[in-house]
Amino acid sequence: MIKRFLSLEWKQFTRASYFQKGIAIKILLILGALYFGGIAIFMGGISFFAFKKAFPEIDPIISINNYMIYWFLFLMLLRYFMQQLPVMNVKPLMVIPIKKDTVIHFLLGKTALSFFNFLSLFLFLPLTVVLLVKGYPIINVLCWFTALLMLTLCTNYLNFLINKSNTWFYIIAPLLIGLIALEYFQVFAISKPLGVAFNSLYNHAYLIAIPALLLYVLYRINFSFIKKGFYLDDTVSKKIKEVNATDLSWMNRFGDIAPFLKNDVKLILRNARPKQVLMMSFLFLFYGLIFYTQDTYRDMPAFLAFASMFVTGGFLMSFGQLVPSWDSEYYKLLMSQNIPYRKYLESKWYLMVVAVSISFVLSTPYLYFGWKIFAMIAAGALFNVGLNSFLTLFGGALNRVPIELNVKAKAFSNTNGFNPTQMLIAMPKILGPMILFYIPYKLINFEAGLIALALSGVLGIVFRSYFLNKIEQIYQKGKYKTVAAFGEKAN
Amino acid sequence: MIITSNLSKKYNSNPVLNIESLDIPKGQSFGLVGNNGAGKTTYFSLLLDLIQPTTGQIKNNNVVVHESEDWKPFTSAFIDESFLIGYLTAEEYFYFIGELRGQNKADVDALVSQFEDFFHGEILGQKKYLRDLSKGNQKKAGIVAALIGNPEVIILDEPFANLDPTTQIRLKGIIKDLAEKQGVTILVSSHDLLHVTDVCERIVVLEKGEIVKDLATNTATLKELEAHFAGRETV
Repeated sequence: MIKRFLSLEWKQFTRASYFQKGIAIKILLILGALYFGGIAIFMGGISFFAFKKAFPEIDPIISINNYMIYWFLFLMLLRYFMQQLPVMNVKPLMVIPIKKDTVIHFLLGKTALSFFNFLSLFLFLPLTVVLLVKGYPIINVLCWFTALLMLTLCTNYLNFLINKSNTWFYIIAPLLIGLIALEYFQVFAISKPLGVAFNSLYNHAYLIAIPALLLYVLYRINFSFIKKGFYLDDTVSKKIKEVNATDLSWMNRFGDIAPFLKNDVKLILRNARPKQVLMMSFLFLFYGLIFYTQDTYRDMPAFLAFASMFVTGGFLMSFGQLVPSWDSEYYKLLMSQNIPYRKYLESKWYLMVVAVSISFVLSTPYLYFGWKIFAMIAAGALFNVGLNSFLTLFGGALNRVPIELNVKAKAFSNTNGFNPTQMLIAMPKILGPMILFYIPYKLINFEAGLIALALSGVLGIVFRSYFLNKIEQIYQKGKYKTVAAFGEKAN
Repeated sequence: MIITSNLSKKYNSNPVLNIESLDIPKGQSFGLVGNNGAGKTTYFSLLLDLIQPTTGQIKNNNVVVHESEDWKPFTSAFIDESFLIGYLTAEEYFYFIGELRGQNKADVDALVSQFEDFFHGEILGQKKYLRDLSKGNQKKAGIVAALIGNPEVIILDEPFANLDPTTQIRLKGIIKDLAEKQGVTILVSSHDLLHVTDVCERIVVLEKGEIVKDLATNTATLKELEAHFAGRETV
């Protein structure tokens, strides 16, 4: 049975249209994976000696264990943002005689093959070899190594829970943040007892039972969680809320693009997925707090320019990068209706401009950090309106992943729109403001950097129709491909 | 009105449609029948420029469909649920389509009110989003939306499927009326031979992407079609 599932998985993987079309991007991703894997092996190999050098009076294995928790924390964060959870099309499997348990075991087992688990393996395997060569007791080292791998798998399943169940997210996220805060503000250093714990894991080989038990428990929780969701119940007996038509006729003053704007507003307010994006982009407003409060960044204005762009650009980037995808469910309608691409794009652009403006108004409290910071935010906002918006729309035009609008995080749906492909497209958006600011800042002065950043945005607005034309051409060129890709249901 | 010449569509050198020539005059009610995979939806998709022809072209009112977008203002269609916007109520959807086709609220209201019978009280004033309606009701909304804005060409793919019997009969009345009184060119595909012969003046049978029959509907047409699909010719 498992063999058959594997072949299904393989087919799904290779036959999806975005896989076939994005082969260049796939190759880049593979190169990236090799790069990070290589780094992990290298780090694993040298870490023993590095720790020995850093803390010459302590046995490296002890200092390594003391810092071990940071690796797992990092892994957890990385997973939360990057790991695509495995999905399997269960509906057709529900009525054929396969034991539910088999399907779920397969689904969970598959996650063990994730790249992130190998990252841990790559890191700890060379370290283990070094330890053995250096004559550390074999049993202890091997049990310790196995325990670490099991803990890695624990993060794997923990991440699954956090991603798929809001309850778990609201339990675990504040707990983690709270502990990190306590550590950071030196109230209570949780890393100390954890360091002791990792050391005991090494010193007493039998303690390997603890991570094994933890792994087992997490696996069972995941198992029962998925099993509970293994019904179509909630789709079949879906509660239908009564709704009222919203009157947005005041938006008619926007002329030609009003119908689209009205539609986009409804799109955002009435669907689960865009609502999530809206919430996320609100959090971006607080991004500046990380950078402006720290003295280290005060002297690195390029980073400040980057942060300032983020403060007002949250919605623009998270909504904009999925621009044609938002309309994927009814894309055929749009393509056969009396709609010029131009108006469609313009309406999305206006929406992003409005979002930047609102974010800018909301960011006025940053005045607290002084005029210089606020001027940077203003310049960043101009850059967002004039250049970033077009970059984002451009990136979106290349993105042909269909979105199910009203699907919230559920055990069998792929909810993370955040994937490495989009990271790749995001590079110029992030580096752009830094470079635009930094070069004139280095050559002339701070004000020159600000002016350059702001001017880039103004230029973008001036050449708006040129950019829109270019993006329109991409849309026109990719029309048939996009229609076909959106026709494929999102998994 | 619609002139198809040397049109073909291939997927990886697999021919799915090959029409040498097909002219549909203005005001004709035109029926397309054929088994699954015969190319009906492919033809409609080509007509709406949703897929690219491998060779040839379709001219809609002298506009080459895959070269210019000028056919859009006078053409409308309902192919499947992807022509609906799930998060709108039926009214909002009608107004949206109306705005795209240059109709104000009052125009849309006037048009839609003619179809109260057809809606059977299940579409308007429901306080439900389209995505929460049943398949049949979604189809009703989609078909009526395709009539907004006085289109000259209307394309309906399988309009009778999923509809209840009462609505099927009412839909037949609507389609006949459009073609006869208002001079609209209307293209319909269906698996239901009875409905198609009832509604269409002309019926074309597609088989593996080729036209195998082109009939002007008369009393014998239904028999002939049934014989064709049963696998034997009429004697």
